[in-house]
Amino acid sequence: MGLRGYLVKRLLNTVVLVIFVIILNFVIFELLPGPNGAIANLTGRAKGNPQAIHNLQLQLGLCQSFDSNGKCIPPSLWSKFFVYFQNMLTFNFGQSQQTGNSVLHDMIGTGRLWNTLELLGTATAISLIVGILLGVVVAARRGGVFDSTMVTVSLTTFSLPTFFMGLLLILVFALYLPWFPSGGVTPSTWLLGTPPLLQQILTRIRYLFLPALTLTLFFYGGNLLLTRATMGEALTEDYITTARAKGLPERTVLFKHALRNASLPIVTNAALAFGGILGGAIITETVFNWDGLGLWLYNAIYWHDFPVLQAMFYIIALCVIGANLVSDIVYGMIDPRIKYE
Amino acid sequence: MSKTTRVPFWLIRFRNFLVLLLSNRLAAVGMFLLLMFVVMAAAAPLLTPYRPTGNAVSANYDPPTWITLINGPVGYSQNAQFSALSVNMSSSGLATIPTKTGNSVALDFAGSSPGGTVQITETLSYPYQGSPKQIIGDAMILIPGSGALNKSFNVTAYVNRIGVSRFLFWSPTTINKTGTYNPSPAINSGNPAFNSQLGIGQQFSAANYVFAAEKANYQYVLTISVPAGFSGRINVSSFDLNLFGNTWGIFGTDDAGHDIFTQVVYGARLSLEVGLVATGIGIGLGLLIGLMAGYLGKIVDEVLMRTTDMLLVIPFLPLLIVLVATIGPSLIYIILLIGFFSWMGFARVIRSQVLSLRERPFIEAAKASGAGTGYITVRHIFPNIVSLTYVNLALTVPASIVTEAALSFLGLGDPTVITWGSMLGAANSVGATVSNLAWWWILPPGLSIALISLAFILLGYAMDELFNPRLRRRR
Repeated sequence: MGLRGYLVKRLLNTVVLVIFVIILNFVIFELLPGPNGAIANLTGRAKGNPQAIHNLQLQLGLCQSFDSNGKCIPPSLWSKFFVYFQNMLTFNFGQSQQTGNSVLHDMIGTGRLWNTLELLGTATAISLIVGILLGVVVAARRGGVFDSTMVTVSLTTFSLPTFFMGLLLILVFALYLPWFPSGGVTPSTWLLGTPPLLQQILTRIRYLFLPALTLTLFFYGGNLLLTRATMGEALTEDYITTARAKGLPERTVLFKHALRNASLPIVTNAALAFGGILGGAIITETVFNWDGLGLWLYNAIYWHDFPVLQAMFYIIALCVIGANLVSDIVYGMIDPRIKYE
Repeated sequence: MSKTTRVPFWLIRFRNFLVLLLSNRLAAVGMFLLLMFVVMAAAAPLLTPYRPTGNAVSANYDPPTWITLINGPVGYSQNAQFSALSVNMSSSGLATIPTKTGNSVALDFAGSSPGGTVQITETLSYPYQGSPKQIIGDAMILIPGSGALNKSFNVTAYVNRIGVSRFLFWSPTTINKTGTYNPSPAINSGNPAFNSQLGIGQQFSAANYVFAAEKANYQYVLTISVPAGFSGRINVSSFDLNLFGNTWGIFGTDDAGHDIFTQVVYGARLSLEVGLVATGIGIGLGLLIGLMAGYLGKIVDEVLMRTTDMLLVIPFLPLLIVLVATIGPSLIYIILLIGFFSWMGFARVIRSQVLSLRERPFIEAAKASGAGTGYITVRHIFPNIVSLTYVNLALTVPASIVTEAALSFLGLGDPTVITWGSMLGAANSVGATVSNLAWWWILPPGLSIALISLAFILLGYAMDELFNPRLRRRR
């Protein structure tokens, strides 16, 4: 099987995964008694104009039709699932119970998606760069003081939960040393009028700094340790000895010869860790009142806003599945050793 | 083989394992930290007299008392209480005292009494150089029976800073009927009416008006003046004045005056419980599924591993969030859910190990001599994957603990218990204005989560190095 076969297999796998996630969502939000049970109870016991109640039940999909006595005939499981499946594929998540707007509008139209991408993108990029660079340096000096210090520090930041790290940073850099704002995306005065562009950018960076730092500290440790491990392995290979024997500068040996060969697991890990970063982002946004998807999810938990919860879970799962697919494709293309089984 | 009494083999092996493990410095640190939390969890009722969900112990947002070691004693106070009461009468035969306890007394007046005053006094030698944060007092007069009294009498209460000034706590009141009487307005420095009775502005508190920020002696006095010929019983009960200091205990208090130390100590129990039980479930499922997939192979392997792969991709925390949000927050559900979704990685590891073990000669030999699947699994496969189990245990426990803390932080924790995560969540949500963020409310639970995770991670890494020959060689 060649590369094409490998890609087709990965794509099929992804489709199966998406269907699996939709089924999971269906089970959680449609079959478990939580969300719909309450609504069904309410409409089932409602008194008043029977026609209005029937319309409501039809609209909510609780009843498919009514028999001659006006008794509700619930839709079959299959038809329910079919409708649900269609809705998920077309991103039709219904209305948010907090705002009454469509969930998709609340997600994208309010700028939440952009805010989250801004935070996630910054933190992921910085932590990848810093983690890999430090990992290479540490692997080159394995066993030294710098090595053990960096390993201890990254193990420590790794085991500090995001919410604690965030609160600590707020305590130090917003309360005791008032250098950065403690939360929010932009100052509230911007509602009245926005300053010139340069100042806007600088202010946004000031607001972004602490949450991005929190996420970076949470994520770089894994990259560092992984790079150190794979680099450690690569540096024992014969071609490194050869490169050094040729008299190549150490930097070339490290970054061109060793890192290139050690980079595959790092790429894969970055994709696999994506789910973890999204989880970290939910918490970081809650701590810093960062008006993104995570804070939205937090508020949805509080308000029992099930349409939002289900949309968020679906979108997050899609993102993670997508990241996995991309990493699989990249892996398949850049690793010459891969056997397309 | 002779059957003499000797130390069982597994015990020797376990002891050797411990000795080897603890010779690693990091593992020793991890073990020490872990033991610290285990002791904390086991001895929680001995370490603190309070309950985590109990009543307030002091004023809200009190920093720990040891802050005086850093900032000096000026401006800081602790809880203080007045002494037991003593009774003085203007003439010796005025009343008899049938019962008297620390803060209540009964007075019997015979009809032949000449009239006069009874002074009930409690004293306090105030030792701190800061005012209390809040004062709450009580003085209840109870006259048993029914109907009107034969004569009316007067009652008043005040605090006396000896040699300096006197503060009226219960303005003179005439009592002529049976019943229960309390000071009005209630004695509470958080009560604006009480503060304005003392003649201070609404924005000030009686606590620092009455109790100056210096060492001094105080009396809390209740005066009962009866006319001649008064007869009947007067019960004075719960005559008390509590001073809540502006520092408290080892870790201070939260926004409602609860003891943070108690919450942290009892939180160790919950965290260990969540971590160990959830990991136990995860390890059990992982072992079962990994062994089945690896040893049975073929279609079983294919189905199990595809399912595992799919579950591995699903983002764990968001899935838990939606599940707990729909099912309802309860510690048992949370533990079960975390356990149920933490077996996948381990199952894969076990499967690959079993796959490689299955081809080894000693398994072939066992098969050839007629051993069944169960026997081979228990006697040959299982001992060879125990080390993996240890490592995985050590690395899954902190993940479970942090996951539970994250759920609690997001407000999805069990509302009936206080965990480290829910403490941080509460600190975060009431700290909407940053100046409300109290470091003594954030550091203890946060550091506890971090240290307990670190303990397990250190042990896990040390064991990994011990069991993984490739890592050992390179050290």
